[in-house]
Amino acid sequence: MGKLVVANNLTLTYENNPVIKSSNFTINSGDFVFLTGISGSGKTTIIKSLYGELKPHSGNLRIGEFNLFNISKSKLSTLRKHLGIVFQDFKLIPEWNILKNVMLPLLIAGVNKNEAEQRAMEYLSRVKLSHKADKFPAELSGGEQQRAAIARATIHNPVMILADEPISGLDEYSASLVMDLFIKANQKGITIVIASHSIPTEFSINFRQLHIEKGKIYELA
Amino acid sequence: MSSLKSHFTLILALISILFSIFLFKTFSQILYKYKQNIIDNYSIVIVSTKQLSPNDVDNLGTLKQININNELKKLKQKYPNIDFSNITLPYFYKLKLNTLPSPKELENIKNELLNKPFIKKVMTKSSAQTKIYNLLMLLEIITKTFMYLIGILGFLLILKQLEVWKLLHNERMYIMELFGAPFWFRGAALFKIAFIDSLISLIITFILIIFVTNLTIFQKVINDLGINYQIDYLKDFGLLFVISFIISFISSILVVIGKK
Repeated sequence: MGKLVVANNLTLTYENNPVIKSSNFTINSGDFVFLTGISGSGKTTIIKSLYGELKPHSGNLRIGEFNLFNISKSKLSTLRKHLGIVFQDFKLIPEWNILKNVMLPLLIAGVNKNEAEQRAMEYLSRVKLSHKADKFPAELSGGEQQRAAIARATIHNPVMILADEPISGLDEYSASLVMDLFIKANQKGITIVIASHSIPTEFSINFRQLHIEKGKIYELA
Repeated sequence: MSSLKSHFTLILALISILFSIFLFKTFSQILYKYKQNIIDNYSIVIVSTKQLSPNDVDNLGTLKQININNELKKLKQKYPNIDFSNITLPYFYKLKLNTLPSPKELENIKNELLNKPFIKKVMTKSSAQTKIYNLLMLLEIITKTFMYLIGILGFLLILKQLEVWKLLHNERMYIMELFGAPFWFRGAALFKIAFIDSLISLIITFILIIFVTNLTIFQKVINDLGINYQIDYLKDFGLLFVISFIISFISSILVVIGKK
């Protein structure tokens, strides 16, 4: 497995305070990684830096050929087209129905509307939401919105999915459905990085755990 | 409802700006034509001891010699005992100015001309000219102030519209950006709104223009001014079309660029 993410002496700051201090870690293609730590430890900060929302303060952070330290806007757009991002608050476009929300990465990639619609329906049926394709985000439960967000994050076959606390606030059933979807995506070869304060108890596949403590990242066995 | 309200704000702003531009342009053209009309019918009479060339009057305008033969004939008939062949008559000229001067400028021109040794007398219609000039200037100031006020009002409405657009579209554009959407894709919805709104504004403004310019009072004023003024609707439509689209597209681009 090739190295997809490489961080060397990475320091990340939030409002000028160092959150991650001179840390090193790597993520290989096809890995299923849990990024754990207590609240405020810097999990979201790392996720944000991985999709280029937060620029590294110092050190190196590479995703494939992209160096996130000095990435240009156009290269960042290109990188993001190869990523799938899932947020705790879903970040679905409120004025679009679920079908159109799921179509978004394909429309950005220039796929024609009919084909995008067809594929979005297929992905919605995978997350068991095809019957709610024409509903708006506000009409769906939290669990349903998160499933729709996962359908959106996977529809364009991204290289890596970054998920920030994706099951936080969801009931047990929804959380298990959402985790299943991540597992299925990983089985297709997509690298998964999930920031979560804990790891689900019955987790059936091999995974890596990167734990953040006092600004340092440790790999736990 | 809020969406309709947001359309209404931009449409209203564009209509006020477009209409003020049209009025500004129309008034400027009418004033220009009227000034030209005055200039055409207005001239300074110069009495000189020698024949004049344009250089002699500092190229202030067109010189035309006044033919005094008829007047001379009348004088000869009236005074048959006087031998006019022994009298050296001066040369009379009409000086048609290039621009309409202010009363002060006219006074300066007169003094300058009188300073030349060969010019004996300069006659101007100063009192009538002063009144017309002052009236024109007053009219110009009033119309320009009015147009600027409408323009500023429209500009303020557009600024307000930008804030509304930011609130309405920021979240969607941010999410799109997270998935790598390019600039044109993020702004597509806004550009569409801008296009539709500017088209609606343009149509409403033009209906308004056609209505106003066909009012009897408007036609009467033009006739009373004694000028030949025809509105070129096609040219004006083209001009307002370009302005309307530029304003709305720049506004929408500012929102996409200024996204937080």
